[in-house]
Parts: sequence; C-alpha cells; structure tokens
Amino acid sequence: MKGKIINLIFNIMKNRKLKNLISLILVMTASCNQPETIVTNIVHRDGSVTRRIEMRNSENKFEVSDLQVPFDSTWITRDSMEFTGEGDTIWVKRAEKLFSGIEEINSFYKSDSGANKDIIRHAVFRKKFKWFNTEYNFSEVIDKKMQYGYPVREYLNDEELQWFYSPNYLTMEKQNGPDSLKYRAFNDTVDKKLEKWYMKNLVSEWIGEFAALTGEKVNSEMTQGSLKQRENEFVEIVLKDIDHFDSLWQNGTILRKFIGETNALKYKAEADSAATIATDRFWVNFKPYTVRAIMPGKLTDTNGLVDSSGYLLWPVNSDFFLTELYIMRAESKTLNSWAWLVSGLFLLFVISGIALKRKG
Amino acid sequence: MTSGNDKYKKMIEILRNSKPGLPRSEEMEDEVIRRIRNEKSKTETASGLIEAIFGWVYIGWVRRSLIGAAFILVAVFIYQQASILKQVNNMSKQVVITGIGQGPASSSELDKKLTIYKISSGLSDDREIKISEKQMEELLDSYQDLEEKYKDLLRIIEENPELNKYIEKKLDEGKNNKPDL
Repeated sequence: MKGKIINLIFNIMKNRKLKNLISLILVMTASCNQPETIVTNIVHRDGSVTRRIEMRNSENKFEVSDLQVPFDSTWITRDSMEFTGEGDTIWVKRAEKLFSGIEEINSFYKSDSGANKDIIRHAVFRKKFKWFNTEYNFSEVIDKKMQYGYPVREYLNDEELQWFYSPNYLTMEKQNGPDSLKYRAFNDTVDKKLEKWYMKNLVSEWIGEFAALTGEKVNSEMTQGSLKQRENEFVEIVLKDIDHFDSLWQNGTILRKFIGETNALKYKAEADSAATIATDRFWVNFKPYTVRAIMPGKLTDTNGLVDSSGYLLWPVNSDFFLTELYIMRAESKTLNSWAWLVSGLFLLFVISGIALKRKG
Repeated sequence: MTSGNDKYKKMIEILRNSKPGLPRSEEMEDEVIRRIRNEKSKTETASGLIEAIFGWVYIGWVRRSLIGAAFILVAVFIYQQASILKQVNNMSKQVVITGIGQGPASSSELDKKLTIYKISSGLSDDREIKISEKQMEELLDSYQDLEEKYKDLLRIIEENPELNKYIEKKLDEGKNNKPDL
C-alpha cells in the first residue's frame, strides 16, 4: 500500500452495526470511480483481433489504474457524453486497437497496470482446417486464485449455476420483475449455498497452506490428509463461532479446538500465516467487467450468453475464477467453398469412371 | 425443217457422246480418303483421351481406392454437416439476453466481501486494520455521497405509510432469513 499509511483502530468499531455499515461502505467505495467496461473482441480469420473497449463513467475520469482491462495511448479513442433517462450525464470513452495476434494481447495482459493487474489473464486462438470447413476457437482465460478450493458446481445444481454465471443486471431484473418472490427465494438459496462454498474454500485453503508451511515436522495427525479429513469439522467450528471469530482466533480458541492445545501453541505463527495467505487469495482485488466476442463465420459452440445482436457475452466477476479457471470460450466455423468444388468434381470424376466401365 | 432436225439430232448425239469428266479426279480421290482417315483418327484420339483419363477403372486397386476415397469424402461431409447442424440447433436453443449492462456488484459478491472482511479483520495483529489516507478520504466522501443520495429516498418512504410498512416487513423477513453478520 503506497502513500501515507494511517492506522484505523478496529476497536472503535465495537458496535456491530457500525462495523457492518463501514464494511458495506468499503465495498461501495471500491466501486466508486469504476467505469462500467465492456471489452469486445472481433476475431478475424487470420487470427488477428480487433479489440474494442467501451468505458462508461459518471465522471470524465478514465485513469489507467481504474480500468479493468489493459489500455494505453496506442489505442484509437473517441470520447463522448450521453444522458440517461433520468437526466444524469454519462461520460463514454471508446477505444479500439487491432492486435496482429493473440501473443500481442497476452503481452498487453502481462504488462497490465490497471485495476485488475493482480489477476492472471490470457487469450487463446486456434484455427483448425477440416477440409469442408475451418474451425476457429477463441477463449479468454482467467487463472484461479485459490489453490485448494472446490469447484462451485459441487455446491450448485445446473439451474443455480446458470443463475450464478448470469450478469448481475439480469438476475436483478428477474428479482424485481414478475415472479419476483420466486426469484428472490431462489437467489437466497443460491446465496446460502455460496456462503457455505466460501467458507469451505477458506478452510480448505488454510489447511493446504498450513500443511505446506508446517511441512515434514508435524506428527501424523497434522498432515494435510488428516486435516483435510476433518475439514467439515473445522468449518462447523468456524461457523459456530462466526460472530466472535476475530477474538476467538486471536486468543487461539478456534485453533485449539481444531488441532489441540499443544499444536495450537506450537504452530500459531504458521496458522496465522496460512490464514493470511488464504484470505489474501480469497479477497481478490478485482473490478468486474464484461467481455464480448464476435467470431468469424457461423457460431457453433460457446459457454457464454448470446445477446440479441448475436454477439457473445460473458460477465466477469471474482467468484468465477476463485477456485477454477474461468474460460470464456467460443467456437465458430467457416465454409471452404473451394474444397466443396474440388470434392464435387472428384465425386463426378469417380462416378463417371464407374459409369463408363459399366457401359464398356 | 429437215436441216433443223438434223442439227438437233447431231447436237443430241454430241451431248450423248460427251461423258462428264472430273478435272483432277485423282486429287479428289485423295481428298476423300484423307478426310475419311481424319475422321477415324479423331474418334481414335477422343477414345484415347477417355482411355487415359478413365484408364484407372480397369486397374482394380486404383478403382477400389478412388471409390473408397469418394465414400470417405461423402461420409466426412455428412458427418461434418450433421455435427454443424446439431451445434447450430443447440446454439439456437440458448437463451438470448437483451442489453449488456453491468449493474452494481452482485449480492453474492457483497456477501463474500462482508464475510471475508469480518474474518480477515480478526486476523490483523493488535486488532488494527491499515488503510491509506486516500482510501480513508474516499470512504468518507462515499459515505457523505450515500447520505445525500438516500436522504430523498428516506423522505419518500417516511411520507408514504404503506411503503414504510412494506419495507419494514421486508427488512424483518430479510433479518429472519439472512445469517446475522
């Protein structure tokens, strides 16, 4: 953290309501000055990609450090101002750049100094010649943050997964539209399952890191395998004491309950370090955005959403790449008309030959 | 009259005796033979060409190979087109969404952040958290901004007893359903 550091004594936040309010404001503060960003990848047949970024902000402020995707002065930009239905002014910055290949995009990602510089992203392009047609695969991939987490599909069913991966504005729309009660109840169910998932991931990450830090010096009860077997027990301990978690962790009560008195004293430093690593990985410094793609030819497969103009769309938020790779994948095909012609002539040749032989 | 008749008879006799004679009849004969030969050679060339192009039909292994290749080509074509058709059909079943707005952070995102904030705050030494001066300023600015924005909203709610009642009811419901943070 750069600049002058000031300490905010946490003890002043005795009042839980105030603590929650401050937490909420911290979350909201993170969203301030954050432009709504949509990145559109127009994939060409030769593997080059025209990348368009549309950034919308309530202020005419588009600092590179606030932007969700790599952007610099080499882009062709166009600024404009729009008015919402409510009469608010929205500043829009549109930028475009032609990338000769995926490598160029990836090198941009590597040197990113924007708001999402802490996450590892890359793009992949593959072109397969299949005689009658050519197949194009394009993906944007975000590396997972947690090393020992659980895939979200182990906690959510197909319908819930669809809800989880939907853009927020769509789920909000459903919750405020017709059948709102049904959708709100459904959203609550998903939220509850996700809370369990978060907790399980945190505990699993802590166990993994704790085992790695303590290494070989521990007894058989403290190996990663043994701790992992008791993972649910630890989750229960944490959930039971969640309201007093901070104090109980500080005085070692929770750790004692989990690994015993002696071990808790002996490995307190490792336990704290593991907890810091786990929470750092969980607390992804990330600003959400939207990715779109336009593929050459006919779209044949994707794990994204399709909008009314036939463009592909993926919302990107930190939960999606918390425990597994987030792959935004699209596949399309173009017809090779010359191959169709050659094949037709060949078939005609063979059929004529056979007909001639029969006649002869 | 007699002399006239004689002249006529003589002329007829001369005409009868003079047979039609072909000039250069040998050349003509040669030409006819040459043309007949050419016709034959043309037919021979065409059949030779066909023989050359389709000669493979008489070689068993070439014929079988080419027929095999043709079948494979047809099979590949059918397979590829069927698979594309299936994929395109699947794509058409996909839900089409409208708009591309981003909206505020999702509720799960907020829940996650609150959960982790609560847990991670307890992990800091001496019960302190560290934030930069800039972040602190942003925090206070946002708080003021929030107060301003919601002042009007609160006024509207307070002025409408029905709305007030509804919101209170919803808040109570939320309190019962949500884990207490």
